[in-house]
Amino acid sequence: MKKVLLLLFFSFFLYGQKFAVVTKVNSTIPSLSKAKVKMIFLKKQKMSGDTVLIPINLSPSNKVRKSFEHTILGMSRNRLKSFWTKEHYLGHRPPLTMKSFKSVLSFIKKIDGSIGYVPLSEVNKEFKILYKWEEQ
Amino acid sequence: MKIILLFLLLISFLFGQEDQQDSSYTLGSGKKVGSLPLYLGGYFSTDYRSTPETQHNRFRVDDIAFLAYGSSNKFSYMSELEYKEFYVKEWSDGNTSIQKHNKLRIERLYLDYNYDENLVLRVGKYNSPIGYWNLMPINVLRATTSSPLSSSMIYPKYTTGIDLSYLLFSDYEVKVDFLAQNNNDFDDAYNNFHIDKHYGVGVTYSKNDLSLKLNGGYFHTKKKVLPSDDIYYWLASLKYDNDHFKIMGELGTQFDKNGLLVPYSGYIQGMYRITEQHLPVIRFESYSSNVLLGRKKDQFVILGYTYRPVFPMAFKAEYQLHEDNEKDKVLFSFSVMF
Repeated sequence: MKKVLLLLFFSFFLYGQKFAVVTKVNSTIPSLSKAKVKMIFLKKQKMSGDTVLIPINLSPSNKVRKSFEHTILGMSRNRLKSFWTKEHYLGHRPPLTMKSFKSVLSFIKKIDGSIGYVPLSEVNKEFKILYKWEEQ
Repeated sequence: MKIILLFLLLISFLFGQEDQQDSSYTLGSGKKVGSLPLYLGGYFSTDYRSTPETQHNRFRVDDIAFLAYGSSNKFSYMSELEYKEFYVKEWSDGNTSIQKHNKLRIERLYLDYNYDENLVLRVGKYNSPIGYWNLMPINVLRATTSSPLSSSMIYPKYTTGIDLSYLLFSDYEVKVDFLAQNNNDFDDAYNNFHIDKHYGVGVTYSKNDLSLKLNGGYFHTKKKVLPSDDIYYWLASLKYDNDHFKIMGELGTQFDKNGLLVPYSGYIQGMYRITEQHLPVIRFESYSSNVLLGRKKDQFVILGYTYRPVFPMAFKAEYQLHEDNEKDKVLFSFSVMF
């Protein structure tokens, strides 16, 4: 019940907000489908062309991360936890985690192949939008 | 005994840290070593089995394993060292036997090279990418204490050689694996077949929650333990996994040039997530074998229940109901990944 109320609470505040998956503006990474974004953040797709991909998550309590996991990954937090425990056995790590949109964008500007998700309003000309979604 | 105590102490230490907000460690996720491309982890399992009809009992400290892995640019590596059946005590009708295996064995040791977004080359010793069960074969990650017989009757669990995998992405995933071994195993103590050749191909199709797979291959045993040492196999598998339940099934056959060795061996298993902590399981297994000593056929049902206080820790109970009552079993286990 608590989870449902929390979900409703976050949905209310995020309703209609737009988000974007971004990389640095001069990146060779092409636009992505929702399925490809999922593949990258589950570390099933590790490269794009010759570029090693570095997906970046926001911290677990971040509302945008909750929207990303629900809308793009389509997986509950518990299922994601079990997924990454299994991946640990296979020698794979979950994405890096950063606390703020600012640190995500700052990292992306510096590191080739890094990809993060932020509110669309945070994106400026220094970034390339790879995928957009709107909270329903 | 000292090793077990140290191991339990380590688990307690790591588990004790889980709820500390400023700790970066989470149980079941390993620990990074400084700034090196190195993560350390492991797993542990212990189980008890009783066969009521024959009054035979067994207690094991089965797996004590250590993982080390990491990645750098296009390369990644994985190593797994393991004590298997570290301590085994069996007793029935007043007779007791104890066995200890305290040699650390190489379970997996490989290097991956990501050539591009589709192609990965693996070199070393790895879990044969056959079916779904064999990819996650350890107690803490599987649904039941026991493993289905098809996962040990049909194909070699481990391959020491190369694996070339090609992954195609769209709204669906198609993965093709080519595996090849033409040498001795690094360490074949735990392999179900002691082989010096293994060639195989596998195709996996996945879309949303559904995944289908077909494997076929050939292997050569070093010693003639079966009627022939040139053996072929096929295995078809399916998996459906969503937030509420998971269904898995595998059906395989094994043969040589003279005919069928294992006409069929397979299972279908369903697991329902009442919550993430409470997981009832039911599995139906059936096989027919022309090479096993004793009973050539069996059908049985496994009723299991798993309690996971957190995902990387599992308390499991299961009851096996066989056609032949003498084979009915009760199993309990505790396993943890750190």
